[in-house]
Amino acid sequence: MKKTMSILLTMILIMGLFTGCTGTNANSESDKAASSTELNIYMWQQYISDDLIAKFEEENNAKVNLSYMSDNADAITKLTAGGGQEYDLIMTCDAYMESLVDGGYVEKINFENIPNASNINDSYWTAKEYCVPYLMNYIYIIYNKDTSPVEIKSYNDLINPALKGQIASIDGARNLFPIALVALGYDPNSVNESEIAEAYEWLVKYNDNVVAYGNAEQNLTNGTASVAFTYDGNASWAMSELGKDNNLVIADFENDPVQLGFDLYVIPKGAKHVDLAEKFLNYITDPEVMAANLVEYPYSCPNDVAVQAASEAYRNDPARDFDYKQNVFFQEDVGEAITIYNDYYQKLKVGE
Amino acid sequence: MIQRNSFKRKTLPALAMAGPVSIWMILFVTLPMLYIIYISFMSRGVFGDVVYTFSLDSYNTLLDSTYFKVIVKSIKAASLTTLLCLLIGYPFAYYIANKPKEVASKLIMLIMIPFWTNSLMRLNSWLLLFQTSGPINKFLLFTGVTDTPLNFVYTNGLVMVGLITSMLPFAVLPMYSSIEKLSKSLLEASADLGASKRTTFFKITLPLTFPGIFSSIILVFIPSLGMYYVTDMLGGGKVLYIGNIIKNQFGAIRNWPLGAALSVLLILITGLLIFIYTRFAKIEDMEVV
Repeated sequence: MKKTMSILLTMILIMGLFTGCTGTNANSESDKAASSTELNIYMWQQYISDDLIAKFEEENNAKVNLSYMSDNADAITKLTAGGGQEYDLIMTCDAYMESLVDGGYVEKINFENIPNASNINDSYWTAKEYCVPYLMNYIYIIYNKDTSPVEIKSYNDLINPALKGQIASIDGARNLFPIALVALGYDPNSVNESEIAEAYEWLVKYNDNVVAYGNAEQNLTNGTASVAFTYDGNASWAMSELGKDNNLVIADFENDPVQLGFDLYVIPKGAKHVDLAEKFLNYITDPEVMAANLVEYPYSCPNDVAVQAASEAYRNDPARDFDYKQNVFFQEDVGEAITIYNDYYQKLKVGE
Repeated sequence: MIQRNSFKRKTLPALAMAGPVSIWMILFVTLPMLYIIYISFMSRGVFGDVVYTFSLDSYNTLLDSTYFKVIVKSIKAASLTTLLCLLIGYPFAYYIANKPKEVASKLIMLIMIPFWTNSLMRLNSWLLLFQTSGPINKFLLFTGVTDTPLNFVYTNGLVMVGLITSMLPFAVLPMYSSIEKLSKSLLEASADLGASKRTTFFKITLPLTFPGIFSSIILVFIPSLGMYYVTDMLGGGKVLYIGNIIKNQFGAIRNWPLGAALSVLLILITGLLIFIYTRFAKIEDMEVV
């Protein structure tokens, strides 16, 4: 009796091991012909208003499933590994668009179904047929005017030894190397190895002044750092966190350009709910909707009409009040040179 | 008939007992590990993908001074963590083991309580405590120990604090169980024969609890080599150990073959340690309470 029981229990255990693998995909096939009721989006966390998502769900009688990435590389992995099987919209950035289009990883978008896209400023739009820009980020320098030992007017001021242990910085090869290349007078998207090597030497000095990579805005507000190389959206957070006592100012650059990057939506090849994805893109480019989104996430926005419709607080945000907004460069696809960047970046991070 | 019987008597129960675990281990440990080893011999594509052609590039890169330095640095840091955990943990384990059972179980509980909080929370609280405007700096300024706030955060020292606090229970528990198992009669005999407390400790207690010490070493050393999130959070991306490098290769840098080769190296280091361990102690001594 005991023996049969034990055999039975073992059988149940073993069966239990395999049941997890089946039965989950049952409902995804049937809803293709009729209009979709499910939309799967892969994007950054803390980047879109939950209320607006709920409203979209209600209007279209659909369920939106949001999944979040932790790194731009994650989105690329999803896109190149047949992302259309799982997702209908994936967020990526302008720098990758050329490769993604060349590799055939993204679907052409039918803009007849997205009339609101005309609200977006054309000059900000790369690979126009394949993506819809969402929000954008200036990556610039802000500093505490009371505690920073140096008044910063160019990237070269950042390697001043007086700033040792004072800089809170964002991370990533393609964010750090461009400022070094600009400081040295080269193309920020250089593919020339000797120029990248020189930029590495410049960054070694920069690295000496960096107290920490990541969490730049928190390190500024809690006093760990007095200078930050960060996104304007994060600067906005830091400035409003300090409120009336705000002593953070945007570095008054005279000549050096700053990086401007876009986050945008693409439809991965083979996406299953394209109709709903297009509806969503039209929804989020609607000026009223985007203006409401900007209240919660006050990043820079390429949707000019939405910016005009946005709240006064957004339009007067000190984090976006600087006069060299036109003096920008974009991150471009550097092709195979990315391995040179990565190798030097690794060396930079390891070196002591 | 005899064969059938022995199947029923021997093989079936063994299969029933070990089968599920074996399937689990094959599916989730052995296969992934083989896949890692396989990838480590492939090449990297421009787009960060894995190109399935044989290459020893990743292993050649490992010999590069950059990575060699990190490996040495990580081993040093993990050794220091282990040493400090032993120095703090052994006296504590000894103290608990000599208390009555009820008290001992309460003391053990005290070690476990911090683990009810998520480890990221605990690490973040170290940052909050030690940051420039944090309570510790405020206290030091108030008492006049220092005039300007001291910089504790994002240093090797704070990373070490994080590692030790995360690993201490894994050091205490095996040592506690082996000290507790130590027969009191041996200590009494030693005292009867005129040995001082000190001599008894070094000649009887320490050698007999060595298996416990060694399992502590393994349980602390190996994870602290790989705990990249402690260095990530408390080191501010400026302190990098081998775990961070592996994470970067699979994440931001997207060189999976190199990441895999580094993982293989980590597996080899672990294997070597366990091999040494089996030389010193029987496997049944390696237990955690």
